[in-house]
Amino acid sequence: MDAFSMGLVAAMGALATVAGASEDIDSDIGSQSNPNSQVQLAAQVGNPHRIYNKAIAGEPPSNALWCTTAAIVAYTLITGYQMPALFAIAAGASVAALFDGVFATSAYFGRSASQARFNQWVYLDIVRYTTPSIMAHVWITSFCICLISYIQVYVLTPHHPFPIPVIALIWGLTVGAIGSSVGDIHYGGEREFQWRLFGQGLNTMLSGQIVRKAEAGLRNSIDNAWFCAKFGGPCTGMGFGLTVFLDNWRSTVFDPVTQAPLAIAMGIFFVIVMNLYSFYVDVSTRRKYGPYPGYKGDIAA
Amino acid sequence: MSFDASTIIYILEITVGGLLVGIGVHFVPVGGAPAAMAQATGIGTGTVQLAAGSGLTGLLAAGLMMSVTHDIWPILASGAVGAMIMIDATMLTGNWIYAYAVGCPMASAKVNYDPITGFSQPPYVAPGTVGQGIPTVCFVSGTIGGAMGGIGGAMIYYPLVLINQNPAESAIFAIGIFLVNAVLASWNIQGTIEGFHDPKFKKWPNAFKSCLVASLILAVVAVLITPIGGI
Repeated sequence: MDAFSMGLVAAMGALATVAGASEDIDSDIGSQSNPNSQVQLAAQVGNPHRIYNKAIAGEPPSNALWCTTAAIVAYTLITGYQMPALFAIAAGASVAALFDGVFATSAYFGRSASQARFNQWVYLDIVRYTTPSIMAHVWITSFCICLISYIQVYVLTPHHPFPIPVIALIWGLTVGAIGSSVGDIHYGGEREFQWRLFGQGLNTMLSGQIVRKAEAGLRNSIDNAWFCAKFGGPCTGMGFGLTVFLDNWRSTVFDPVTQAPLAIAMGIFFVIVMNLYSFYVDVSTRRKYGPYPGYKGDIAA
Repeated sequence: MSFDASTIIYILEITVGGLLVGIGVHFVPVGGAPAAMAQATGIGTGTVQLAAGSGLTGLLAAGLMMSVTHDIWPILASGAVGAMIMIDATMLTGNWIYAYAVGCPMASAKVNYDPITGFSQPPYVAPGTVGQGIPTVCFVSGTIGGAMGGIGGAMIYYPLVLINQNPAESAIFAIGIFLVNAVLASWNIQGTIEGFHDPKFKKWPNAFKSCLVASLILAVVAVLITPIGGI
């Protein structure tokens, strides 16, 4: 271990945190992942809305696609044309963002137009204002992940044996899985249904009854990004940042060649700590919130 | 290429890796889209995507370890640890959102008492939902599932590198075999499961059989394709 490697691992953790946050906000603006089921349903139960609707694919495959696209362009520019790494990665991220713009626009048009029978309109102003914002977030995500892959392959020792595009594919899948598991809850469980009773999940009876009015005027997806950037995005960033940082920290502090058992033991220690922390969250929420008042069963709280 | 004893060992290793992935998916508590609305217990995403996210993070760790040693145990352990770190970080930050944004206690709707902590569950299940959050038993189950996925991914990757000496090609093959087994297991649990305490978990022998057949075919193809194709 040396100070330079530790700095690199810290930089990777920071980049991963930014990538996770921007990935989640991208999916919130585009209403891409699991909560999009409610956005789709809203028009069908009589609630046409002005929310963007880009369900291109599940978040992990789509983010894997953007990150791999960016990484392949960057890899080609670096190895084939000897371009500087930062420039090549920025160019790759731009190509990925353009791809995303094409997919997002066609997804919005297709999904909204197919709901014409439910009085769902296609809003051109929404396409104009929201699509560049989605593309910008995809640019940030793919740029950060390409940079992480570049550091792992070329800078950090021991160098990773996988090429940049394969690492970007795997990190893209991972960041999508985390964004879909963590940030989506803030958007789907909280932002889409703000007028139900606080402190519980969505009652099945309320499916499709999403909030359509904003603090001023009608709600659009940029309003959702404003809300989710306060907690859902940072939590997603924390999840992905922890994954990248802890996983690389243990194999950097402990040399995998001579201290492999220590690196593995350190990882197991992290896992035990996270299990205990989750147990603490479980206990503390039960103590603070208590059982639901309407419960009429036999089992004592 | 001669078809010797080591070839059979490689095929067996890939098959066992595929089986570990298939069974490991049953441990991962996934609630699908309803969980993202705090409407069901578990992690709010799809089974395959989460299993792939964690197992492939383990594959990255295993790949790094394999570049410095060819001893199988540290490689498998690295894969397990990498996958466990990813899935634990995901479940922990997910629980923060359930606890501090949605503001609900963690509760399972499949059991009356948490098998690990002994906490009662039904009083804490919100009306009109089937549980919410990731209670301790689901968290521990997810950790076990992540570990099995990570070991499985590493066990598929290990013989492939020994055969073709090409980490990139082996990684892509391992991702493919991983996804096939994760999808088969996902069909078996019909998309959602809470962990080893869920009644659906008892269906694992079905996934075992189908993953055995699929992994065996893929293993034979994976072992033979490199020398025959001359890639």
